[in-house]
Amino acid sequence: MSNSSKSALECRNVTVKFGDVTALSEVSASFAPGQIHAVVGQNGAGKTTFARVAAGLVQPTSGAVNVMGQDIRTGQVSESRAAGVELVHQSFAMPPSFTVAETMEFGATGKGGVFSRRGLIEKWRAHLAGLDVQVDLNRRIRDLPIETQQGIEIARALVTDARVLILDEPTAVLSPAGIDMLFARVRRLKERGVTVILILHKIREVLGIADTVTVLRGGRKVEGPLPVAEVSGERLANLIVGEAVAKTLDRQDRDALVGTKAPAHEDADQQAHASGPAILSMKAISTKPDSGGIALDGVDLEIRPGEIVGIAGVEGNGQKTLVRAISALADLEGGTIDLSGHDVTRQPLAMRRKIGLRIIPFERNVEGLSLTSSLWQNWSARELLQGSLLKGIRPAAIREACDRSLKAWSVHYNNSGQRAGSLSGGNAQKVILAREIDPDAKLIIAAQPTRGLDIGATAFVWQALRQARDRGAAILLISSDLDELFDISDRVVVMLSGRLNGEFHAPFDIGLVGAAMTGAAAGASA
Amino acid sequence: MNEIIISILRSGTPLIYVTLAGVIAQRAGVWNLGLEGLMIIGACATILGIMLTKSVGAAILIAILACVLASVLLWFVIDRLKANPIIAGLGLTGLGIGGTALAIQSIFGSQATVTAPFGIPKLGPAFGSYGVLSVAVAAMPFVVFAMWVLLRRTRFGLRLAACGEHPFAARSVGANPSRMRLAALSIGGVLCAIGGAELAAGSLQFFAQGMTAGRGFMAFAAVIFGAAHPVGATFAALFFAIVGAIGIRAQLTFGDRIPHDLLQALPYLATVFGVWLSGKLRGGAKAASSFAELRDQ
Amino acid sequence: MKDSLITVVRSLIFVIFALILCALVFQLAGYNAPVLLWAVLDGAFLRSGAIEQSLRWALPLFITAVGVGISFRAGFFNIGAQGQFYVGAICAAFAAEAVKGGPAFLVIPTLLLAGMLGGALWALWPGLLRLRSGTDEVITTLMGNFMAGLLLVYVTSGPLKDPSGSGQQASSRPLDPAYRISDSLGLSPTIIVIAVVVGILMWLLVNRTAFGVLASLAGRNGTMVEWQGARLWKLGLSSFLVSGALAGLAGTIEFMGPNGRIASGFLPAHGFTAILIALVANLSVLGTAVAAVFFGGLASAALYLPIMAGLPSAAIDIINAAIALFITARSTFIDRVLRLGGRKT
Repeated sequence: MSNSSKSALECRNVTVKFGDVTALSEVSASFAPGQIHAVVGQNGAGKTTFARVAAGLVQPTSGAVNVMGQDIRTGQVSESRAAGVELVHQSFAMPPSFTVAETMEFGATGKGGVFSRRGLIEKWRAHLAGLDVQVDLNRRIRDLPIETQQGIEIARALVTDARVLILDEPTAVLSPAGIDMLFARVRRLKERGVTVILILHKIREVLGIADTVTVLRGGRKVEGPLPVAEVSGERLANLIVGEAVAKTLDRQDRDALVGTKAPAHEDADQQAHASGPAILSMKAISTKPDSGGIALDGVDLEIRPGEIVGIAGVEGNGQKTLVRAISALADLEGGTIDLSGHDVTRQPLAMRRKIGLRIIPFERNVEGLSLTSSLWQNWSARELLQGSLLKGIRPAAIREACDRSLKAWSVHYNNSGQRAGSLSGGNAQKVILAREIDPDAKLIIAAQPTRGLDIGATAFVWQALRQARDRGAAILLISSDLDELFDISDRVVVMLSGRLNGEFHAPFDIGLVGAAMTGAAAGASA
Repeated sequence: MNEIIISILRSGTPLIYVTLAGVIAQRAGVWNLGLEGLMIIGACATILGIMLTKSVGAAILIAILACVLASVLLWFVIDRLKANPIIAGLGLTGLGIGGTALAIQSIFGSQATVTAPFGIPKLGPAFGSYGVLSVAVAAMPFVVFAMWVLLRRTRFGLRLAACGEHPFAARSVGANPSRMRLAALSIGGVLCAIGGAELAAGSLQFFAQGMTAGRGFMAFAAVIFGAAHPVGATFAALFFAIVGAIGIRAQLTFGDRIPHDLLQALPYLATVFGVWLSGKLRGGAKAASSFAELRDQ
Repeated sequence: MKDSLITVVRSLIFVIFALILCALVFQLAGYNAPVLLWAVLDGAFLRSGAIEQSLRWALPLFITAVGVGISFRAGFFNIGAQGQFYVGAICAAFAAEAVKGGPAFLVIPTLLLAGMLGGALWALWPGLLRLRSGTDEVITTLMGNFMAGLLLVYVTSGPLKDPSGSGQQASSRPLDPAYRISDSLGLSPTIIVIAVVVGILMWLLVNRTAFGVLASLAGRNGTMVEWQGARLWKLGLSSFLVSGALAGLAGTIEFMGPNGRIASGFLPAHGFTAILIALVANLSVLGTAVAAVFFGGLASAALYLPIMAGLPSAAIDIINAAIALFITARSTFIDRVLRLGGRKT
């Protein structure tokens, strides 16, 4: 390898197989030192696996990893760290009960010994300050806002002299302003000589920060690293999506899926959908702090039939509590909730579901499906709960009905007795759609319905939501992806600190929405 | 008054050692219900060791070896074979109780108790009326302190806690959760051996079949009650010892007017109350055990 | 179907693992392991009358184990079968005092019902603590076992004490023979009918009702059914109560059948064995019936060993414990060999 001495990080023919699934196939890429490199691809393209191989968390089936000209032993975190490779995870890997100081210390290498609480704080204060992370070192991770957590995780990764810092989808959880701050931080790291590899999935962000870009698709490298100056957004979009799928996509959907440009929604005819009296009407809803997040504070929200209302906001600003309040899972402190003209403020979820509430919950694999249970059991849960617990059932009949329904939703599966966990993310989400979107559905809550799905499955979910909307259902869409919100919502409401902070109509302005997300322009309303 | 304190220390010390074993396992993410079995193995091995080697030191070493081996077996089953820790722990407890009974029967025939010629050295007259206590009692506060330092004030302790709370985070800084659990269970084995030794050879000098009588489970309860904090759990164990001592006192004072079988249930009742209370104080924390084989995660 | 076959084979493999471990322990303790294991097999199934004796132990164990399976399925680690078994027997014994002299056809059902109520009661408080306050049921039910054991000592040496009893083990006054449901051998049509009825009802509950499907979903993932609108406490508490009632019923059968009285510390391994049976059967009702016969055999061998072969009955405890150690093991290696290729769509 003649040019390996020039690379900060080089992968040669890396293949990773999990069971029968090939996550990465013969990926070779070499990243020059001192630059910002972007690795892009849709969900399932193998980006995270690639990052974990480099960090030593995943043992590749075959292939080699080379750092600064030295081949390292693969599949050993300590080996990767010793070579100077550090990884910041998408959903941060820090024990929630640890204090900030403890989080720094537990990841440190070198001499340890016995410390005191105060000594620990002294030890790490300067380190955090040097990276512009302003935080009380006695606070626990679980009590900190998400942007701060990210700063801490980056600082945690830099406790050693990291020469290669990999950030896995760092922008997914941030507001537009937060992304700007992150990018500023990344540029400063570059000035310090750190090679930064950013895993991204929005072209806009790639073009805004990276020096080179590498595209993965279906576990293979399709291009790169290319100098960003030499590629157009259009070409990148096609590389990410792939020719075959690109043809099937609506132009505007495709742009939203890959984040080609600053999103602006200009489809005027969508505003004509909403009609009739509100299906959901929340008045002055306040809750107690909830297991799902912070409390709601006087939320007023109306959704009428035939409209998709998007909820924007940085994660952790009460979106989860909002969904839980509508689903009768959060404790209310005040206010009323009407559903289809019934006052359901004190009604349990079963009752609300009976009059047409349907939920596609945040966590597909935890709240949406029981992965170790069979497909037919998962599929039938909603209907079984409508009757008495001791009602007799005929599993054969349920399985037939389940087969019909799953076929109608074009779920790929072997038989309805197989475990839900054996399906891919997209198919699993379709099972949830098959259960939740039925003709009686009046209000459909779709919470992060496309998270982790590839482009085909995402487009499928959007299609399903639009069809339900066109049938006259009211849809509440919660997403941290502004492109998604702007593409399919009829209006967008921003949540901040448990309150609604502004309502926006198409055409959406990312600047205004972004400002409302961080409270920069409180009460901004278009 | 001294008498009461002595009886609390006597019954509390073995419990505290075993509780510390439970604490370190719990922090590494293992619910160790094998404590009862480990403790009885420690007790039996100590007495047999004293009889065999005529040396307390050698006997305790034998006990430590036996308990560490048993702990490694538990680790292998839980960590390598992914067995449910609670059922496997109960299995180890059964093996300990049954195995020690079998060993005693095979060596001594139908004898139910085996008496050793001497036990762990006493503190001696220099300590006044407390001189009847064994050196293991005096060592106990230092062991508690050492465990506190190890678990709360070293990087090893932080990584161990990370393995229990967020194994992926531990892995991503290069720690190996599986090896950390092995370390935790092995250290726990040493502590259980000392606890068992103190139980059988501290103030007593004999081993009886089933002599731990649920103390290992009580230690486990103290771990939960004390939120797996070494000092908190120690106080929980001490609390159980105090409740037990009060029960005995009350029986001496009130005689047959209070049925003593029901008084004996006080520590168990206190445990239920304590676990309930600690859940309440932590805002109704969800039950942490689960039948993982049948669960999604 | 293939999945359940794999489960069965895997269970068998680990039972064999456990027996090898036992052989090692026996050998270490100074016994001839093959001789001992053969004596166990002989005592359990081979000698004449062994099958009847095994069934005598298997039926009450089956009833408790089915209940354990119900609560495990629903995701609750109720390891309090022993306590629920005791409290059921105690309640039946008190009820027997209360309705003494009544006609047998009324008294017998009353006692059975009292026993089930008692067992359910002893499962109720851990259930409520778990579902109302999130108190871990492993600890509460475990402590409940110890408390029930002491309660049994108290009632047999106090309120229900048999004055003519010998000093060794406190026991209650014997049940009027008119109300006994079996002789001391313990295998009677009544007991068989009760076990079969329990088996059928529980099979229907698990496999043919909405409760069965939902409780199983809730056990695997409570959050998911909560988002579907289920009230977890309703599913959970009923599972606790059913499992407690069945353990109580088993205790009552032991009281009204083979024992004819309750004694302090009687059948101390019943609950633990029932948990093992449920686990070996992978919680299926039919599997529980098969596993119960196996463990019933071991229980009867425990009595046979010291008398007929001069070997210690602790050997049986060790076999049970070793099976417990391994039975929930999931070796990916063995799975891979058994499955020969997975599936993913």
